[in-house]
Amino acid sequence: MSVKPMPVATAISAPFWQALNDGQLKIQQCQDCRNWVFYPRAHCTHCMSERLSWQAVSGEASLYTYTLTRVPTLPELADELPQALAVVELKEGVRINTTLTGIDEADIYVGMKLKPVFDRRDAKGNTLLRFTAKDNTTSELSYDNPLEALPRNAKGQIQVPVSNLPAMAALADNTFTPWSDAVLVDQPLIDAFAALSGDDYWIHTDADKAATDSPFGTTIAHGALVQVLQSKMQFALPFDIVGFKTMVNYGSNRLRFPAPVPVNSLIHARAKVKAVQPTPKGMQLTLEVNIHVVDQDRPSVINDLVILYR
Amino acid sequence: MGLTGNAAIVGAAQYKPEKYQSAPQMFHLQQVADLARLALRDAGMGIDELDGLVIHGPQFHEASIFVPAMAAEYLGIELNFAEVVDLGGCTSVGMIWRAAAAIEMGLCEAVLCVIPARMAPFGPDEDPAWMAQAMRYGGHSTAFGAPEAEFDLPYGHLGQNTGYAMIAQRYAAKYGYDPLSMAKIAVDQRFNAQGHPDAIFRGTELTAEQVLASKMVADPLHVLEIVMPVAGGAAVIVTSKEKAAKAKQRPAFITGFGERLSYKSPSYANEMTVTPLAQAAAKAFSMAGLTPGQMDAAQLYDCYTITVLLSLEDAGFCPKGEGMRFIREHNLTYKGDFPLNTHGGQLSFGQSASAGGMSQVIEAFDQISGRAGERQLGRADNIFVSGTGGVMSEQGALILQGG
Repeated sequence: MSVKPMPVATAISAPFWQALNDGQLKIQQCQDCRNWVFYPRAHCTHCMSERLSWQAVSGEASLYTYTLTRVPTLPELADELPQALAVVELKEGVRINTTLTGIDEADIYVGMKLKPVFDRRDAKGNTLLRFTAKDNTTSELSYDNPLEALPRNAKGQIQVPVSNLPAMAALADNTFTPWSDAVLVDQPLIDAFAALSGDDYWIHTDADKAATDSPFGTTIAHGALVQVLQSKMQFALPFDIVGFKTMVNYGSNRLRFPAPVPVNSLIHARAKVKAVQPTPKGMQLTLEVNIHVVDQDRPSVINDLVILYR
Repeated sequence: MGLTGNAAIVGAAQYKPEKYQSAPQMFHLQQVADLARLALRDAGMGIDELDGLVIHGPQFHEASIFVPAMAAEYLGIELNFAEVVDLGGCTSVGMIWRAAAAIEMGLCEAVLCVIPARMAPFGPDEDPAWMAQAMRYGGHSTAFGAPEAEFDLPYGHLGQNTGYAMIAQRYAAKYGYDPLSMAKIAVDQRFNAQGHPDAIFRGTELTAEQVLASKMVADPLHVLEIVMPVAGGAAVIVTSKEKAAKAKQRPAFITGFGERLSYKSPSYANEMTVTPLAQAAAKAFSMAGLTPGQMDAAQLYDCYTITVLLSLEDAGFCPKGEGMRFIREHNLTYKGDFPLNTHGGQLSFGQSASAGGMSQVIEAFDQISGRAGERQLGRADNIFVSGTGGVMSEQGALILQGG
């Protein structure tokens, strides 16, 4: 099992996915010809009207057709074999591509009555729409957070074995850690970096010239210096990946210096796991690290750091 | 309205299908020129006679835009008509009628319809990721805003196998399903392949028991009911009646065509078991002034056995719902009373990507021009050809007639 594909909502479709997250099935109805439209669009496929409105519907449906896949359609879905791929027709007449859940293979037949099942896919409540037999009691599949059952280390971090793919996948989250401790960037530090790197451009090292000629009125730290100071700042990642032989910094997918760090600034950092991707080379974790001058909204460094666990 | 039968196929070429390409890699441009040379030689025509080009655009290796101009320049010809066709497995049929229409309208006199489908060499810095992605998602778009990326992929609805399987299940619920009849399609076509020296499955016979015992991929489709992708490529020369009169081969005149498409996922078809070929074929027959009963053979697009079943019915060779019985009651081999896919179909000749459908056009031409060798039909004057792209999504029909 690995990271499964999830829909990316568009401005047009967002109400559909939001409704599913809220435990409701909403589809579009044309305010002019009263016909129903699925999948979400900006126009009515019956009369081209742009007056579509979102309506909650019961989800009463029947099975239009199905197949049981004996070969996974994507490697990520291999744990779901056979996938009971289905085309479901809602009472309103529209058809939806989905999968059936909670029905024995032998009990599936074209025309059977169905009802929706809200399948929670992550801790944030993102939900896919599946269907089951009308008389089944299940109407929701809860999300079992694969991180919850895992032990914690002395620092309170969840210990995630790198081989536990569902748990690794669950680390991807759009939420930043709290801020790290702060580090002072003073002139001796900047000068030391200038000496080390050979980059002694006046904007970093010449306080007098910078006072008059620099748009910042003072010297600023090298972007690369601020970037490497990341290792001095401890941001509290809520997890600790374990069970790997080597961990290497594979590189950076994106490195930007959007805002300067003037001398004598206090800087701090925070991070979030942007992506977790199993690759032939090992488990790849993309950590977006942002370094800010304290109290500045605009980051001074954005670094999408790719870490490879093997 | 429509064609008046003043354009004809006079030459063709296709690479021998190969499961693992052993032929040296050639750029797609190079393949275009190579296939053009072979097809022109077959027609007995010179390159200077070409003034039209219909080419398959998607997955062309050397360019994604300006493909016809690049190909014309590479060939060293000037064109009065250029067209890119993007109809998946229906591309071949779509190319032929577009070429015929352009000729009948007087736009041009001789058109090269060409699909290079062998692997081209990748450059040292070229990222083959797009190809890996195309293979992985079976032609489904993962682009932001693509309905399939949002509403199909998260549910595992992708690839062609499952779409065709779901059509077959719906058919089964409506009309019943006889796995033996479906297997017979594959078996009869395999017999036909024994008569084609280039068929990928020449030398390998097949029984219905083997088909039914083969791996179930997506109920009710077994792996031996599913086409095998191969490397290949094909070209056809379509020209005017005047030029056709001087051609080396007996011409196959294009006297009727039809085309119909409206969806990508068959889930959104009005009725999944009625394919757009119904309208396309009706248009083709009425244009040609012929009926299904007057056909000497049918070359029906056969990515799956279910595709053949639906095409038989929707083209009008038998009533809706009676395809299984029709298959049981007829010998579908070149020796039989209803010759179907006399080269083995793509199931047994091989499906070289979008060039696969051209094998059916070329087989119709080979039969009409009387050089089908051991599988030559006694009478081959009127032949029906169909094309199918996506999951029964894009459909085309041709009527070819010996002059």
